Amino acid sequence: MKTLKVAGFLAFTSLKRGNFGVMLLTILILILVTLNLLFVPSLLRGLVRGANDKLKDTFAGDIVIESALDNPLIPNTNVLIPKIEAIDGVVAVTPRNNMVAEFRYENERTSGIIYAILPEREKEVFTISKSLMEGSFLNLNDRGQILLGLQLAGAGNSNIELYSRSLKKIHAGDRVLVTYGNGIQKSYTVKGIFYSEFIQTDTQAFVSETEFEAVNPLVTNKSSSIRVKIDDKADAAIIIDKISQLGDGLRILTWEDYAGIMRSMTDTFHAIDTILNVVNLLVAGITVFVVTYIDVTNRRRQIGIQRAIGIMPGCIAIAYLLRAAFYAALAAILASLAFLYVIMPVEAKYPFHFPFGDVNLVLGFSALANAFFILFCAAIIAAFLPVWIALRIKILDAIWG
Amino acid sequence: MVENNLIYNVQQLSKVYDTGKVKIKALDNISFAVPEGDMLTIMGRSGSGKSTLLRQMGLLDRPTSGGIIFEAMEVTALPEGDRTKLRLTSMGYVFQEYALLGELTAHQNVYLPGMVLGKMGSNYKQRAKELLELVGLGERIGHYPKELSGGEQQRVAIARALINSPSVLLADEPCANLDTISSKAVMETLVKLNAQLKVTIIFISHDPSDKQYAKSLIVLSDGRIAQEGNP
Repeated sequence: MKTLKVAGFLAFTSLKRGNFGVMLLTILILILVTLNLLFVPSLLRGLVRGANDKLKDTFAGDIVIESALDNPLIPNTNVLIPKIEAIDGVVAVTPRNNMVAEFRYENERTSGIIYAILPEREKEVFTISKSLMEGSFLNLNDRGQILLGLQLAGAGNSNIELYSRSLKKIHAGDRVLVTYGNGIQKSYTVKGIFYSEFIQTDTQAFVSETEFEAVNPLVTNKSSSIRVKIDDKADAAIIIDKISQLGDGLRILTWEDYAGIMRSMTDTFHAIDTILNVVNLLVAGITVFVVTYIDVTNRRRQIGIQRAIGIMPGCIAIAYLLRAAFYAALAAILASLAFLYVIMPVEAKYPFHFPFGDVNLVLGFSALANAFFILFCAAIIAAFLPVWIALRIKILDAIWG
Repeated sequence: MVENNLIYNVQQLSKVYDTGKVKIKALDNISFAVPEGDMLTIMGRSGSGKSTLLRQMGLLDRPTSGGIIFEAMEVTALPEGDRTKLRLTSMGYVFQEYALLGELTAHQNVYLPGMVLGKMGSNYKQRAKELLELVGLGERIGHYPKELSGGEQQRVAIARALINSPSVLLADEPCANLDTISSKAVMETLVKLNAQLKVTIIFISHDPSDKQYAKSLIVLSDGRIAQEGNP
């Protein structure tokens, strides 16, 4: 307790009367280190969250139900869907059918998958209806009309990723010739073009279930998949278990299982995050070490005097560690405030653009705590080393050099 | 009460500095004793080993051979922690170049060792104030070292050395960097402290006129005692 009191006194007086410029520089460097610690994980979390949200909201839904039998179509969906909707935690359900098709417009040709949808149900599960660039969304009984994703249509946007493989200049109101995988050829009016900013979704096309059944009557009351949206607070595992009790022959997947690439991407981002954290720890440690080393070297005489008048080396070391902890705490607080109230709002206004849309920085409590922990560890360890070196020097050498 | 009233008993003390190429014998088999309450001055030419001797006695350095008995205790081989504790509790050391902590006021410089010792019920801040008044700096307790003259800084250093009521005050050429008036003030302060506080004082001086302040004298030459006795 006495040691802490003296160490605190030494730390306080050296902060109060020490070189203000050095203190400012040290804190500034630590702020930059902290911002670096916060920025990369926040960006990676933003990327993961943005990609996952797009995946769920435009491509997969929260839960995907497929047939586990030889027949790829789920039978009696008119009976099955109300039962799924009745499960606690389920928000909305929509069935889909699909078929590979080739699209032609003027001299351009491309291929993709056409999904047959029930538009009103679709709006409850997915947000594609809110991503229209041109035209309007489908209605239940629309016939002879088709909705195209931007990466399929091109729509004159030569800056999109898959423009060279798209129909390039087709717009809402134009006619597109579609050849289905079963050989049926049909001309459709483009009712709308959507841009969800998720590349896998934007290479899709949609027609109404009514239109699709006319092309392929075998799918009546059957679906190739059923997409389920669940409440944010609901437990997907419990809902999956309840759905599995509704009948045999169903393969029920979470959105992560359905789009394995996203899980792989998320894992990769976590790995990058971990690697960067280690690098940041080293950068922070070396930075604090250099600053503290210069500071301690300049104070070697003071340390020698303190030892000569009977202050225990441990007490002197604690004083320096308290100083380092103070620097780290102040830098962490200032950096967090700057990150939360300057960098994040500015980034939200001018977001980073990725193939799956704009990415906002995401700063969770764990990331904040992690950054603080890393900074504190780096500061304490880096401060201890030069002090320990200085304390090993003979008293007289420390005082007179 | 220390046995035989000796505060120091220095026995066959030698200190050799090994620079790698040559060995310099700074102290050569020195033996002497210092009684309690003495005011001893150590004199000699530059390089005669005065400061080296005082640093061994002040436990700031370790001799190559020989021993130092301080207050009836062999202290030469004590571990560093115990030496630090002895410096804090029983020895006051005044350096030639003041050696004050620049970030502390005169008052804080003086009471810091008292705070470190932290005796139960001790009012080290009040004692520091009294000591500063005793050395004639009662009005300057809130001043930082750079705001004080050389003589004033040295007197602050003396007050600091006395905060824990040490048995001995060791002063390494306390007046080396001071003008005549300041030197006189510092030396008179030491005499006053020796008389009033009964503290043993051992000081180094290269000025023969400082003999007047001492009760006993040791003159060193080439690391050996050339003269010992009354000044």
